[in-house]
Amino acid sequence: MWSKLSDIDRMFNAMNLLQSRMDNIFGDYSTSRPIPAAWIAAESMPKTNLSDLGDHFEVVAEVPGFAKESLNIKIQGNYLEISGTYEKDAPEGYAVHRVERGTTSFNRSFTLPSDVDPEKVEAALKNGLLELTLPKAEAAKPKQITVK
Amino acid sequence: MSDEKELVKSEKDMVEKSRPIPTVTPVVDIYENDDEILLHADMPGVEKDKITVNVDNGTLTITGVREIETKGVATWEEFGNVEYKRNFSVPQTIDVSKVDAELKDGVLRLHLPKSEAAKPRQIEIKTG
Repeated sequence: MWSKLSDIDRMFNAMNLLQSRMDNIFGDYSTSRPIPAAWIAAESMPKTNLSDLGDHFEVVAEVPGFAKESLNIKIQGNYLEISGTYEKDAPEGYAVHRVERGTTSFNRSFTLPSDVDPEKVEAALKNGLLELTLPKAEAAKPKQITVK
Repeated sequence: MSDEKELVKSEKDMVEKSRPIPTVTPVVDIYENDDEILLHADMPGVEKDKITVNVDNGTLTITGVREIETKGVATWEEFGNVEYKRNFSVPQTIDVSKVDAELKDGVLRLHLPKSEAAKPRQIEIKTG
């Protein structure tokens, strides 16, 4: 069993390596030219990670520039919605040289793999990362079955 | 024969241990007025002590490393550890000793004040 797990782990590592190589290739490509405005609009949804920790899920989203008051989180069953809006922090009386940071509002919704208990959900904002801890509903939690 | 063995081993190490951190360009806003240049850069997830700001001979370099601890089984993963890095050419008139940086909500805000000599001056016309 142990060896199988490490095989899977190795497979994921290999996939991540490939992905980072691809990111490098396309990263170089996109830095060599200015980013078109349409691209920024298409990328206005925050990137997220979702991990399953047995009795709860963890969702981490990239939300740079958003204060905790400007973020909204809605949960219903296994449906999760994150949205946010903030006023552009452009200072007054300054000439503008470059504006690449485009996202001032977003709305992203997810279907989680199972129902969560909305009462126990916790959210934290740290350095522009929104971290959600979503405990699974009782029925969806893994259960230990003892063999008689 | 021994060479072949080594090759296989190093490949294994590469996949399992040293995953290179991709370097990405942070998106920035740049503003300027008579007194200073402002630079706002998005660096979500970067801790304060993982950011370096360097002004050297007319080049401003900002870097930041994001390290995220991964827990559990990833159902999906759209971002991971990255190194943010970007270089800018800045005028020599920047007063390097007064450069000020703050980090809030994953946004790095740099104030680059211009030195006194570089500020525009209003010349008063005297009437004789």
